[in-house]
Amino acid sequence: MNPILADIYSTILPSAPYVIAAYALLWVALLVYLLIIARGTKKAEAQLALLEEAVADQRAKGE
Amino acid sequence: MAREGKTPRLPEAGQWPDKVAPAALIAGIVLTTVGFLMAFLTVPPVGGATVGGVELIGDAMVNQKMLLSQKIFYFHMPVAITSFVALLFGAYYSVRFLLTKNQRFDTCARIALELALLFVAMTMVTGEMWTRFEWGVWWSWEPRLTTYLILMLIVIAYFVLRSSIDEPERRATFAAVVAVIAAIDVPICFMITRLIPSSIHPVVLREGGMSPEMGLCVGLAALGMLCVCFALYRARFRQVRLVQRVDALKETLDDER
Repeated sequence: MNPILADIYSTILPSAPYVIAAYALLWVALLVYLLIIARGTKKAEAQLALLEEAVADQRAKGE
Repeated sequence: MAREGKTPRLPEAGQWPDKVAPAALIAGIVLTTVGFLMAFLTVPPVGGATVGGVELIGDAMVNQKMLLSQKIFYFHMPVAITSFVALLFGAYYSVRFLLTKNQRFDTCARIALELALLFVAMTMVTGEMWTRFEWGVWWSWEPRLTTYLILMLIVIAYFVLRSSIDEPERRATFAAVVAVIAAIDVPICFMITRLIPSSIHPVVLREGGMSPEMGLCVGLAALGMLCVCFALYRARFRQVRLVQRVDALKETLDDER
């Protein structure tokens, strides 16, 4: 390999995995947190739907 | 005043912040992406680890290797700033809880601290990647790192404390005190590089600390991260309020039965 190019690449290639890992981990962490929120919201909405049904049943029995 | 009988306006899902949250998320993603592209395309390289003597790289004679790892700075510092802001918001809501004893403020503080922990962890991870490459170690007992570790431990202690107390008001009161302590550590952590100068963590927020290109890049990325944090905060707040309303409904139904 051309020695000048080898020198230029030597400043980039060794650190590239660390730079990519830092940036990727950052967005993975944000995405995981967002997924946790979305999952929690979905679960709460499902529970709310069940509760609405329970309330409707209770009212029907009361009538 | 809240204590004189006037009810404070409580944060609630569906208020105006929720309407701007989606726009904030998009703005955050755009700004962080612009910051990322600027870091790699327009901001000139900054000196990294020194090399022995002067070397010819490309057409230029340099006495330092311009390391790519320095680019981590452009997303490491914005997430650190965001973690500080989240902690300050957490302390603000904690103080409001201590003044009013309203659980809603405790909910806001808990979510702010949750996000603070997320951003503290991200700061640590991005910092570790940089540390490992440039210094060849995973950890160094350097003043900034040490104070930031203490900050992280306080935030973790906040959640450990919360999970160990069942009674809601007692839990919220103790947690609020810990949140305020964490916020007190923020200026210490921020100022430590000025109080104990270190070559590893130079003071960059000063005149001449960064070139205009670097400053613009960090500024955009920080603004983007703050927008993302705000959008996540509102999304989490809406979810927690929904869960709280479901729980309250369940209790009402159980009482009626």
